[in-house]
Amino acid sequence: MSAFWGGVAVILSLELRQRVRGIAWYVLLGVFVFLVAIVTVLLKLAFSFYPTGGEGVGDSGGASGGGAIFSAVIYFVLLLGTLVAPALSGTAINGDRDSGTLATTQVTLITTGQLLLGKFLAAWLAALAFLAAALPFLIYAAIQGGIDWATMIVSALVLIFELGIVAAIGVGLSGILNRPLFSIVVSYLVVAALSVGTLIAFGLGGVVVQSQVVGTERTFVNEPTDGSAGSELPVNPDAPMACGPPTVVESTVPRFDHFWGILVANPYVLLADAVPTQFDTNSYPVDLFGVIKMGVRSVQIAPDLHPVNDYCKDFAAGPNAKQIINSTAPGWAVGMALHLLLALGSLFWAYRRTRTPSGKLPTGTRIA
Amino acid sequence: MSDTQSFSGGIVVSGVRRAFGTVYAVRDVSFTAEPGTVTALIGPNGSGKTTLMLMLASLLRPDAGRIRIAGHDPLTATSAVRQAVGWMPDVLGSWASLSVRSTLETTGRLYRMDRMTAAARAAELIALVGLTELADQPTRVLSRGQKQRLSLARALVHDPEVLLLDEPASGLDPVARIELRRLVRRVAAEGKTVLVSSHVLAELDEMADAAVYIEHGVTASTDRVAGAKRSARAWRIRSSDLLGLEHALLSIGVAQAEITRDRAELLVAVGSETAAAELLRRIVASGLPISVFAPAVGDLEHTFLDLSRSAAAVSVTRAPITTMPTTSMPITSTPTDSISIDGDGR
Ligand SMILES: Nc1ncnc2c1ncn2[C@@H]1O[C@H](COP(=O)(O)OP(=O)(O)O)[C@@H](O)[C@H]1O
Ligand SMILES: [Mg+2]
Repeated sequence: MSAFWGGVAVILSLELRQRVRGIAWYVLLGVFVFLVAIVTVLLKLAFSFYPTGGEGVGDSGGASGGGAIFSAVIYFVLLLGTLVAPALSGTAINGDRDSGTLATTQVTLITTGQLLLGKFLAAWLAALAFLAAALPFLIYAAIQGGIDWATMIVSALVLIFELGIVAAIGVGLSGILNRPLFSIVVSYLVVAALSVGTLIAFGLGGVVVQSQVVGTERTFVNEPTDGSAGSELPVNPDAPMACGPPTVVESTVPRFDHFWGILVANPYVLLADAVPTQFDTNSYPVDLFGVIKMGVRSVQIAPDLHPVNDYCKDFAAGPNAKQIINSTAPGWAVGMALHLLLALGSLFWAYRRTRTPSGKLPTGTRIA
Repeated sequence: MSDTQSFSGGIVVSGVRRAFGTVYAVRDVSFTAEPGTVTALIGPNGSGKTTLMLMLASLLRPDAGRIRIAGHDPLTATSAVRQAVGWMPDVLGSWASLSVRSTLETTGRLYRMDRMTAAARAAELIALVGLTELADQPTRVLSRGQKQRLSLARALVHDPEVLLLDEPASGLDPVARIELRRLVRRVAAEGKTVLVSSHVLAELDEMADAAVYIEHGVTASTDRVAGAKRSARAWRIRSSDLLGLEHALLSIGVAQAEITRDRAELLVAVGSETAAAELLRRIVASGLPISVFAPAVGDLEHTFLDLSRSAAAVSVTRAPITTMPTTSMPITSTPTDSISIDGDGR
């Protein structure tokens, strides 16, 4: 077993020396740190305009902006990491084949499993370098206060997991597809499909599938003095207010509740959804993750197609954020399982294709 | 040749076949290379040499046939074969941003050497292939010939029992070729098995103990090789008095058609070694100044050319790689040299 990991470690260090280390890499990290710094400063400024406990801002954390900065930086690392990981991992195997170093590695005692695992770990580590570079800002946000440990740890873990998924898909595709350029493009398409495509599919689905709502409404009307039919407006100040007859109101609603499952596969949504939410005294989430979570959870609830709104009585307020979140399904677990399946599937497929002695070769490939 | 004969080492190949889709790269290859010898693998471009080497190196699965490398089957005992085999590919690939030294160290580590052993071995090999001055340069700055030497060193990292060299001399300067030859002979003298492929035959002539001829993926049978070896070949005769030499030859009884003039020399077709000795004795006896009397082409080349000529006569469907008009004799350059560069231009 230790021989196995020894081999993986050799491949890992080889990959890091070959692909990652280099001036361009440090420049990229520098630019990233600069961008995160700007985001942090801007958010800090924005939040300094709100007095403590101000309107719309939770009293437990939002006021100082710690929660907002923390979630923004985490999202920023996710964005950059998923953009950089395919570039690093997307040619891990077919690039080596093109430069004639794959076969000379495979002819040694390294097994295909060690090779793939080493390359995957290298790509993952490279993406995690962005998290490491963002660490000072995350610590700064934590010092600002208002974020609890669960939020910090869970969001970081999910971020690390998602970067691993992208790295694995990149390495897998580089083993599945022959042409380096093509595999990089496909890796980016997968990332885009998950990050943006799911949102578009969700939006389109909801708009295309709409339902008829037939509601009943009773509102206050001015009791007309002349016995004619009542009217809502203009209000006749002399007339007494009375309850009008029930009226039927027809409209359509988009059925997002049929499509919420699509959002489960979105890494940003998934991350927000997985983080345990803190609520302020109004049962409102304190950070960006919580707000997004509330949004994606509330679309799970099917709209009432026959609502009865009697405004003459005290009508019940809708459920608050806390109630919504607690009454709906945590989709993140499904999303993570899905991503894991995708990553393992592509790695396995790549394993089948790069295994030696090779049987059937894809057309146009030479081993060496 | 027979698979009943069992070796504990060396290379034993019988009836190996491999196709890529509809293209048969290797159709029927059988041969044996014994430990302590250097075996030349000779064939024109596209004859399946590289494909065969890939199968021997456990990278490619044969469609049929049997391979034993140091007694192991590449399909079932893959890691034992890999431990035993050193393979130098015909494509030049190297980790561009690693130095020569760390390339060799990393290769050693890939063969499960510990750090110290790998470093020591790398230093040893760098000196052996003469890359000392470039040891700490990234491999991307190496010239073709230097990369070739690095590739050779990489194949030797784990001191393999069986060495597979695919066109090792291409890109090497004459001095490096001589060093390569010396190195290969030394490895064989240590009891290792060496298989060297090339289409530049002159250099193999001096290196190889045995030869395997392969054409269109088929190894030539022993009888055909023996027959080809016996066939008439050209001898090169140099004399300051060329005209006198020609007269002497004609008077000895050599037909005019068998004499070709090549710059300051005459090429004469001679049937056998004994006939050549007799010819030399008689020209010298005639008192002419003779400075060179030698076969115009090396042994391997002669056999190879004769084989491809007879193969061309047998198979009409495939265009022959080299067609030699039977009347005229090969000129100084080796015809195989002038064929297109290797088909796999990557
Ligand atoms: N991966 C491959 N796919 C398709 N054809 C191949 C492949 N590898 C080799 N060939 C073909 O097989 C034949 C033998 O090639 P090769 O073994 O490289 O010859 P050599 O090394 O003797 O020049 C050639 O016709 C070549 O085009
Ligand atoms: Mg070749």
